[in-house]
Amino acid sequence: MNKENLEKLKNRAIVMAEETVQKQETSSATEVITFILDVETYAIESAFVREVYQIKDFTTLPGVPSFIFCIINIRGQILPVIDLKKFFNLPEKGFGELNKVIILSNDLMEFGILADEVRGTETIEQDDLQPVPQTISSIGEEFLRGVTKKGLILLNAERMLSDKKLVVYDEVN
Amino acid sequence: MDKKEEEFLKRIQATFLIEAEEHVRAFSSGLIELEKIHPDGKVDEITEILFREIHSLKGAARSVDHKDAESVCQPLESVFSALKNKKIKLSPDLLGLFYKTSDLLTKVLLNTSGTHSGDDRKIMRELITQLKESAEPNLHESTTAVEKIPDLQPAISEKLTSPESNSSSDILPPSRESVRIRISKLDPLLLQAEELLQTKIAISQRAIELEEIRTNIGSWIQETQKWRSQRSGASSERWNEWMEENDLHLNDLENRLTSLAGHTQKDQHNLSNMVDNHLDSMKQILMLPVSSLVEIFPLMVREIAREQNKEIDFKINGAELEIDKRILEELKDPLIHLIRNSIDHGIGKPQERILKNKPAGGKIRLDFSARENGQVEITLSDDGNGIDKAKLIKAALKKGLLSEEAAAILEPEECYNLIYQSGISTSSIITDISGHGLGLSIVREKVIKLNGKISVESDPGHGTTFRILLPMTLSTFRGIVVKVQEFAFILPTMNVERVMKIDREDIRTVENHETILVGDKVTSIVDLREVLGLPEKRNSVSDNMETENGISNQIRVVVLSAAELRIAFKVNDITDEQQVLVKPLGKLLKRVRNISGATILGSGKVVPVLNISDLMKTALRVHVKAKVSRDGDLSIRKTGKILVVEDSITSRTMLKNVLETSGYSVVTAFDGLDGFTKARDGEFDLILSDVDMPRVNGFELTTKIRADKKLKEMPVILLTALGSQADREHGIDVGADAYIIKSSFDQGNLLDIVKKLI
Repeated sequence: MNKENLEKLKNRAIVMAEETVQKQETSSATEVITFILDVETYAIESAFVREVYQIKDFTTLPGVPSFIFCIINIRGQILPVIDLKKFFNLPEKGFGELNKVIILSNDLMEFGILADEVRGTETIEQDDLQPVPQTISSIGEEFLRGVTKKGLILLNAERMLSDKKLVVYDEVN
Repeated sequence: MDKKEEEFLKRIQATFLIEAEEHVRAFSSGLIELEKIHPDGKVDEITEILFREIHSLKGAARSVDHKDAESVCQPLESVFSALKNKKIKLSPDLLGLFYKTSDLLTKVLLNTSGTHSGDDRKIMRELITQLKESAEPNLHESTTAVEKIPDLQPAISEKLTSPESNSSSDILPPSRESVRIRISKLDPLLLQAEELLQTKIAISQRAIELEEIRTNIGSWIQETQKWRSQRSGASSERWNEWMEENDLHLNDLENRLTSLAGHTQKDQHNLSNMVDNHLDSMKQILMLPVSSLVEIFPLMVREIAREQNKEIDFKINGAELEIDKRILEELKDPLIHLIRNSIDHGIGKPQERILKNKPAGGKIRLDFSARENGQVEITLSDDGNGIDKAKLIKAALKKGLLSEEAAAILEPEECYNLIYQSGISTSSIITDISGHGLGLSIVREKVIKLNGKISVESDPGHGTTFRILLPMTLSTFRGIVVKVQEFAFILPTMNVERVMKIDREDIRTVENHETILVGDKVTSIVDLREVLGLPEKRNSVSDNMETENGISNQIRVVVLSAAELRIAFKVNDITDEQQVLVKPLGKLLKRVRNISGATILGSGKVVPVLNISDLMKTALRVHVKAKVSRDGDLSIRKTGKILVVEDSITSRTMLKNVLETSGYSVVTAFDGLDGFTKARDGEFDLILSDVDMPRVNGFELTTKIRADKKLKEMPVILLTALGSQADREHGIDVGADAYIIKSSFDQGNLLDIVKKLI
């Protein structure tokens, strides 16, 4: 085999290798929206985010579980808003100016989650994701997909949207 | 092109389905007719109609190439042709075959993908063979005749399926002024029309705000003029010039605002009228004949009656009456329940009836008739056993819903009201169909939700009549806005009996709870805040204001009434009464206690709408709780200990989980023998057992338990995959208290029955 051919093959191999790496990247990377809860930064897959909404006014409901923070009016639609802090044992900060609601939805479910502040969008690599350390675990553990090296906590939006435990069905007998 | 063709095919198939459904429906109701008048009467006429229906369906199926439907219709048509030509005679067997075929056709039509399970295929093949055989009673003699019929058919069916006659004009009423629109297309239209209400409410709010601004500017102008007249002369030339300029602008602004406010008001008025008219028209469009709801009932009655070996003559009157589709939909379950109830408990078996000098067959009548004020009256009557008052009172006493003293002075009317109490049933064995005593309370709740009334009359030994009075259309919701602390809530105006101000001294304590006089009736009074579970606030803002104004002694009260109940609720303020569009709380909040939905006020503010039925129940509980806490602690609920006997580990674990989640403690056993040993050794409140188990099965276990000295009073629920009537009766014979079929198993049902028996 001559040098030229060898070089050619080598280059081809490099290109091929690069391609696979790229492919891996696109398949294992997740686009997320990042937001702050207390002092922690959380992320949620943007595929499940319908919109981010600035809370102007809200109505609390008596007699609902504490994780149901309020209901809001989004262009004529009434949506419940969940307070994740209740699941992650985070302290309540009080309701500030910067409060935003991230509206999650799929075919079967739709609700908002309360965020202290919305940071922006980011891409998380699958490889970068590590299992949640034992110390974090609380009621909300099952809603977590993992933590990145930078400490970004990725939520499991799909799981939250399909979790029957969150659905309120309360009859007076 | 291809795509267009595909779309066309899709559309035509959708149209076919609608048409086919109508044919099958007409066919089924024709069959019922046929069965009723058999053997004399207008048999020929109905046979002819049925033949037509099948023929049209076959033609339609052929035109969209629906092979399955066609292959079933073909022999069915032949049978009817033979019937028509008196080649064969109508027999009960044949009728049964027709019913089966009608059922199969529905299945075949619903299955649009064209794939059928092997079982379905087999049924289809068998039925087709049977039909073919029925059409040719004497194969050798009539071969030619039967052959001839299909020969004749193509000519007719070609004609029927050709474009000009494909418009199914033979099914529609003669008038060509109607069009067919899918109901699913109409639903969003109604929703949109209702959404307009929201805009109407918002616009009227805007008009009010504009008027306020105009008034503000008006008083500002007056102030300016007053101020200037006071210091005239003293001002400089330039100052006056500036002021005049100012006045000019101000006047211009006022004029324009006045005109704007005027126009807005007019627009708002027009819009409001248009929205109301539009909504009204939409509601008219969505009025459907009662027949669309009740046409399934005859078949259902037939089925249940057959299952229970009873004979029932079921008739419906007034099915042509038109009622709001949404009301009809809500009515379906309650009516089905009432009918099942009648068959289950009302109508006895033929032998029993004959003993009581009644005809062997029971009668059930369902009548719909229009009443004044746009209301419809529905009566369901049977000539069955009637309601046993003594049994009813016994059941109520056992459940602690009634005290001995109260039972002694109970009026007959009030007595019947007990049947709506959940947990009361006069049926000694609990079955899936009815008898777990929940149904009637749900029926009543539904009727009340529709702003209707239900009453029952019973003549023991002669029958029972349920009477339901309902509006024919859902009226637009109106509500009053009340405040509890800083929170606003809406109460449906239709449940508000009156709004009043009372003095604190007007509240009297009767038997440990607070009451006031409303008119001349002593009425319980509760704090809405407490009922809703809102925390008490000391020195809240509104309280302070009240004290400053010196009216702290006065309390605002809303008297609510629903279903013979009337309770007064204390609120902080009553601010408004208005039209309200109630919206659901979102998919996450399927049902919230005391709250039925929410509405958006003209200001954009979201306000919860309160659920009156819940409020009343909670209010009663608040009362009872207050009473109990004074009488000593009776409120600690006795949680039961349950023995679950089940050989399948999956079912065992599932049952254990379900029961434990509801607060019961559970011990499990893996078969009847193990179960019996454990039952004897432990202290249980209830045994829940599977039927089909190795060694000792559920029936045997129940028998053993009933024979045991220590265990004979133990409630036993049998849970089984066997669903036959014989098994159920076997269950009754061995002494089980309830019998639940697994295929229809749902947690709620099980828990209700468990709760009832412990």
